Amino acid sequence: MGYSVLQILLVFLITFIAAIDQFSFLESLYQPIVTGTVVGLVLGDVQTGLIVGGTYQLMTIGNMPVGGAQPPNAVIGGIMAAVLAISLNMDAKVAVATAIPFALLGQYGVTLLFSLMSPVMTVADRYASEANPRGIDKINYLSMILMGTIFGLIVTLFFIGGASFGNQVVAAIPKQLMDGLGAAGGMMRYVGFGILLKVMVSRELWGFYFAGFALANIVAGIASLSGSALLLLAFIGFALAFWDYQIQTRLKVASEAASYGGEEDGI
Amino acid sequence: MAYSIPDSYQDTTPAEQLDKKTLNRMVWRSLFLQASFNYERMQAGGWLYSILPGLEKIHKNNKDDLAASMSHNLEFFNTHPFLVTFVMGIVLSLEQNKADIPTIRAVRVAAMGPLGGIGDALFWFTLVPITAGITSNMAINGNIAAPLIFLLIFNVAQFALRFFLMNWSYKMGTEAIGVLTANAKEFTRAASILGIFVVGSLTSLYGATSLNVQIPNGQTNEPIEVVSTIKNAEVKDFKDKLYVDGKMDGELIEGANVLDLKNGYSQITYHQDHMVPVTINLQEILDGILPQLIPLAFTLLLYFLLSKKGWTPLKCIGLLLIIGIIGGYFGIWAV
Repeated sequence: MGYSVLQILLVFLITFIAAIDQFSFLESLYQPIVTGTVVGLVLGDVQTGLIVGGTYQLMTIGNMPVGGAQPPNAVIGGIMAAVLAISLNMDAKVAVATAIPFALLGQYGVTLLFSLMSPVMTVADRYASEANPRGIDKINYLSMILMGTIFGLIVTLFFIGGASFGNQVVAAIPKQLMDGLGAAGGMMRYVGFGILLKVMVSRELWGFYFAGFALANIVAGIASLSGSALLLLAFIGFALAFWDYQIQTRLKVASEAASYGGEEDGI
Repeated sequence: MAYSIPDSYQDTTPAEQLDKKTLNRMVWRSLFLQASFNYERMQAGGWLYSILPGLEKIHKNNKDDLAASMSHNLEFFNTHPFLVTFVMGIVLSLEQNKADIPTIRAVRVAAMGPLGGIGDALFWFTLVPITAGITSNMAINGNIAAPLIFLLIFNVAQFALRFFLMNWSYKMGTEAIGVLTANAKEFTRAASILGIFVVGSLTSLYGATSLNVQIPNGQTNEPIEVVSTIKNAEVKDFKDKLYVDGKMDGELIEGANVLDLKNGYSQITYHQDHMVPVTINLQEILDGILPQLIPLAFTLLLYFLLSKKGWTPLKCIGLLLIIGIIGGYFGIWAV
């Protein structure tokens, strides 16, 4: 294809930034409409970059990372679509379709990093207990650098190796292992819930845990409420909590008055 | 791991009010809420990163208090990235007034939950589809301004919301603090109720583990409708399928029909039995007992291991990795 080292480095850099931006920073630089254009600029064909970016963007609308789910990755997909279209002279729509397997690979990368970062939280716990803010900073920066590097390497490798090489790599990854890792990743949040319960729940408050669980199940059964589910549940939870607050404060006042009265009677 | 978080700060005199500069600095840092996102505690690392400048100011005189504050702010956290400054403002106002740690924790958990749906509705389902939809078509027509317009609209909305929510909720939290501290015990109890309720809801709504196990359970007859056109003379060959007890001119079997087409042919309709394999879907049975039973069971098991067996989070993650990967090898998890 004959691109200069500088161009390859710039594509790496674009991917590095976009990969971080998909979760942090502006959460908008990574959108294909932006990355496609910038890749076009670097590879000397802005028009094609724009068109591919726009086409990919239209495809991803309504395919957003909602509630922690991972749709096929738009960062690698968008960048690879632009790279393919420009370097291989592909039609925009064909390039977008060809880039889908790469998007899947990006999803694998995200799953891997999110799983890997779970045990690192133990290190963060140690920094916290030592009151070491810079340690916390370091973990966050390191995590972002890892994310950018993983994505940058994937894209650069395919940029140099070409599309057929990409398909080979995707085919070589054992699907069972990635499925298993994905399942394990999905389970790790239960550890987070477990920790919260450990510190928050007392014997007399367990009922509210199951009430929240039960009502969430009911709300989740109604498809049209999927977006507002937690807000609706919070209203119910708030009513319970506020009611309890009023009862408890009145009880306090009443018991103070009663004990005062009791003493008076004694005298 | 020996560190255990206390229930209250050693130094309980309220710290100085956070100045505007510190608040704004934390708004900028809040952009990195998801920097160290992971499956176990989700945004916890980025959350602590975002509020660190405030915590350092508030607990600058007592290192033990800073450690306690940092530790409890590293617990599971997940909210909408664009609305997080709302939670930050409230939590920081409580930290500044040195409220009890269970109170701060309960408020944090109660506030983070409902924002997710609002943020998704505002940004991912409204702002992005509209602006990206319009600008995508501009881009396809070769308009170089398209990506810039998209970035501009999106980020103006994002930053306006982030700065506004931070200042507004910090002020609100500070004003409400007097009422809260007068009934601190009752307030903590109430906030815990809401918090625990939200964790229960999250267990169901974020629970993403389900089985893909089909158990073969023999075969069953499935009647398949057959419609055929035959010569009138051949109708008697099908009498067993068309008539009760196979008696011609007797009663038709339910669902069967004979229609003389008046051209020497008849159209017959009958049902033929067909053997199909039956499988039991284990997940459907579990859902029949209790939807999201698996996430609930996992959460309770991990609670048990963490609080009664003294397991560390790391050990729990190891256990889940083993369960996940072995299960994935046998293909029992639904993907």
